Amino acid sequence: MNRVSSIVNRSFSSSGHEKRIRGNKTKDLNITSLIDILTILLVFMIKNISMDASQKNAPEGMLLPTTITKNELIESGQVVFVKIFTDRILYGSENIPVSSLQDFMLKHDIRQSLLRLLQMEARKIISINGKPCLLIQADKQLECRFITEFIKFSAQASFANIYFSTIHTDDKNQVLGL
Amino acid sequence: MAYGPSKNRTESQHESREPNLIPIMNLFIVIIPMLMTIMVSVHLAMIEITLPTQSSGGGGGDDAGEQIEEVPKVLTLALLIDRFEVMVEGNEDIIKIPQLTSGKYDFMTLDQTISRLKRLHENQQTIDLLPDPNVKFDTLLRSIDICKSNDFPNIKYLTTATKYYKAK
Repeated sequence: MNRVSSIVNRSFSSSGHEKRIRGNKTKDLNITSLIDILTILLVFMIKNISMDASQKNAPEGMLLPTTITKNELIESGQVVFVKIFTDRILYGSENIPVSSLQDFMLKHDIRQSLLRLLQMEARKIISINGKPCLLIQADKQLECRFITEFIKFSAQASFANIYFSTIHTDDKNQVLGL
Repeated sequence: MAYGPSKNRTESQHESREPNLIPIMNLFIVIIPMLMTIMVSVHLAMIEITLPTQSSGGGGGDDAGEQIEEVPKVLTLALLIDRFEVMVEGNEDIIKIPQLTSGKYDFMTLDQTISRLKRLHENQQTIDLLPDPNVKFDTLLRSIDICKSNDFPNIKYLTTATKYYKAK
């Protein structure tokens, strides 16, 4: 390989000696342009970054509905998450599996244990002078009867403030389906 | 006898020295993937609903009604499997908004209807929402969003069970 390249070099240069000297010089990689790009990228990312924890909780594998309006959490509100997928229910920020949707609707003991869990959580929040809030993150393909069940549940467990998690957009046509 | 500086020395002094960018590169290579992982690409929002209370209902029949401000009429939006229905308290006519095609609700007409109702009932801040159990959650939230964007900040979520037992 070296032999071939040297032959080629010789064949293209008028004076072979001069060419060999230039080839021996070590060339530094010019990374200035790369640094420029990375600096721009860094500034852009620092500008766009959000440290809001509530904005990073989009559950994987769930399609959330899109809305143009949004509400803020009430003052001293403490959020309890419930994630309702099309096939399962997860509780809390630790994603504790509760049951499948069908089991939740049909099995009384599962409903009772979830109710007790919610009541316990609500009592704990109230004891520290907080206001218990339920944040329901549900798949947009889900039927409303499951949501209604959860709303009834939360009312029984002293959760007066109920929120639905959505994806925020500024485009109203997206909501109107245009 | 003093000698001048050697040729090599003068050459090295004139040679421009480039800053060592390797540590900066290392830093960037760490920071940029870290920022990419924590960057928010999807902005989540929250929509609040209120629950129906036991004390809700009309409080009419008082003779001293002249001094009391006019009680706004209750507006109810029913989400049915094939249409929207908007009911105004004391009005026999129900506004029906059928689907455009099968499974595609007419949110545009709903938006116009809610906007018109807001102009007629400026004091009213609440809409009662009655979803059919089989309606999709997406439809529910779009309807709530339309109501909220038309200056109805309070959405009262009614459960169909209440109505069902009443009918029986």
